[in-house]
Amino acid sequence: MSQVPNIGSEAPATGASGRRRVIETHGLSKIFTLSEGSVTALRDVNIAIDEGEFVSFVGPSGCGKSTLLNIISGLLPATTGTVLLDGEDITEPSHKMGFMFQTPVLLPWRTVEKNVLLPAEVQGLNVEALRPKALDVIEAVGLKDFRHAYPKQLSGGMQQRVALARVLTYEPEVLLMDEPFGALDEFTREAMNLELMRITQSAGITCIFVTHNITEAVFLSDKVVVMTPRPGEVSGVLDIDLPRPREIGTMKDPAFADLIFEVRSLLGRHVHA
Amino acid sequence: MRDAVIDANAPSPRLDPVKADAAKADAAARELRRQRERRTDWYYRIGAISIGVVILLLWEALPYFDLVNPIILPPFTKVAYALYTLVQQPFFPRHLLITLNEIVVGFLVGTGLGLGVGIALAVWPPVKRLIYPYVVGFQAIPKIVFAPLFIAWFGFDQISKIVMAVVIAFFPVLINTMVGLESVPADARKLMRSMKATPLQLFYKVSFLHALPIIFAGVQAAFTFAVIGAIVGEFVGAKEGLGYLLNLYNFQLRIDRAFAVIVILAGIGAAGFFLLEWADRKFIFWRER
Ligand SMILES: Nc1ncnc2c1ncn2[C@@H]1O[C@H](COP(=O)(O)OP(=O)(O)OP(=O)(O)O)[C@@H](O)[C@H]1O
Ligand SMILES: [Mg+2]
Repeated sequence: MSQVPNIGSEAPATGASGRRRVIETHGLSKIFTLSEGSVTALRDVNIAIDEGEFVSFVGPSGCGKSTLLNIISGLLPATTGTVLLDGEDITEPSHKMGFMFQTPVLLPWRTVEKNVLLPAEVQGLNVEALRPKALDVIEAVGLKDFRHAYPKQLSGGMQQRVALARVLTYEPEVLLMDEPFGALDEFTREAMNLELMRITQSAGITCIFVTHNITEAVFLSDKVVVMTPRPGEVSGVLDIDLPRPREIGTMKDPAFADLIFEVRSLLGRHVHA
Repeated sequence: MRDAVIDANAPSPRLDPVKADAAKADAAARELRRQRERRTDWYYRIGAISIGVVILLLWEALPYFDLVNPIILPPFTKVAYALYTLVQQPFFPRHLLITLNEIVVGFLVGTGLGLGVGIALAVWPPVKRLIYPYVVGFQAIPKIVFAPLFIAWFGFDQISKIVMAVVIAFFPVLINTMVGLESVPADARKLMRSMKATPLQLFYKVSFLHALPIIFAGVQAAFTFAVIGAIVGEFVGAKEGLGYLLNLYNFQLRIDRAFAVIVILAGIGAAGFFLLEWADRKFIFWRER
């Protein structure tokens, strides 16, 4: 049994209520101005996410999920409204957050280990001091034997696990993921879901997760936020009160099917609108 | 908890007999496929060599049977003999070294210049907007027209040839450097930005290495162009060098010797190309081939 990395160990134990508020948005909107006119990508988005929560965003393509994630991460300025991280305004990327994209974005000239240590180099941290930690995380995502391999020697799922290790090594308070498993086959996706859940749960990491896959959203989350098509607004938030820890068997639970149906109907309202 | 994870990549610890048989059959099939591939490789290799032999035979036979005037095309063996005697002439090393020097210096300076200007254009958009139109305009000129001018400006010595080599060699490096640096995927930039990387870190940890395979293709072209530049420069006006020798033998109608010089130039071109190809494989190991 491999060692689970001890991520975010200073975080207080998570209770059912009274958790610390980590992310808050107030009246967030985003208007893209193009030469042909302007696109309102987000309108008046207000969300609150507590420490250790796993929150998924689902919605039709183009409804502004990626835009929302980019704004929360500090990579993109909002047109109006604010994002608070631990009560402070976000105007630029923060080391408290880790971002994972749909593609692994590995540097092909670096081995797995060196890709995982890239943020350390960039942030001017002590690479040697972090190496054991990086190796622990690489082991935790099941790539121990591949630490010296180059990205092109790995399958898509393995590459995405490297990307996961690259963010987890730095113990982010918040993990932002934009369809991280969207390009993977169903079987690999399931394995990755279990892995992600195990690691983020044990480390108490707050997760913001964007997906097109309703099953995945319900399976992983404490809350599923359903968004409307352009302009993106929050159309509903569903609490997923399935017991944890969850396993593949959880999907047999009748409550699971009900929740999927609920998300689907929340989404469906807009598809035909 | 870890047990719940399905690790598709972990090797199974023990193979049961059925699986072991299957694995053996698999290995046998793979071995068969490899043998077949190796045989096909050989067929192609023999084919390629045969084509070369046929060309040499024609080269030898056509002038020999007077199907082509031997003054226009001396037979292969005569050219080989001319090459053998030429390289033993006391004046030969001087001409060879001069041309080699022009090519190498022209190539290095041209590559450095192309790299520098390409980086400046890519990382500094105002510079690109100001001077890129002139770069493109300059490239549209067939630069050989400058050869007589360079002789007038820089004299009959090596300098004018080196300048010629630089002027045509630097462009492919410049363009490939610029294009390579600008083709860094948006996701990679975003990743670096999310880690709060400085522009300098983005450049030397991501952009430059990303561009390197593309830059290297430009560098390979630059070598070929440097050879052309040096020889054209010597054609137009020189007192020494392989281009000067080639010109001289042409005038003297010693076509076998002229061909011998061409063979030497082809050898220089090929040597440079393969050297760079080797460096490419060694240093840009991550290139998709
Ligand atoms: N940089 C940009 N410039 C102009 N418009 C943009 C830009 N980025 C996004 N948009 C527009 O904003 C809207 C939301 O885009 P976004 O990428 O956030 O959608 P999404 O929900 O992530 O879609 P998908 O599920 O397909 O990834 C779209 O209409 C898109 O055209
Ligand atoms: Mg998106």
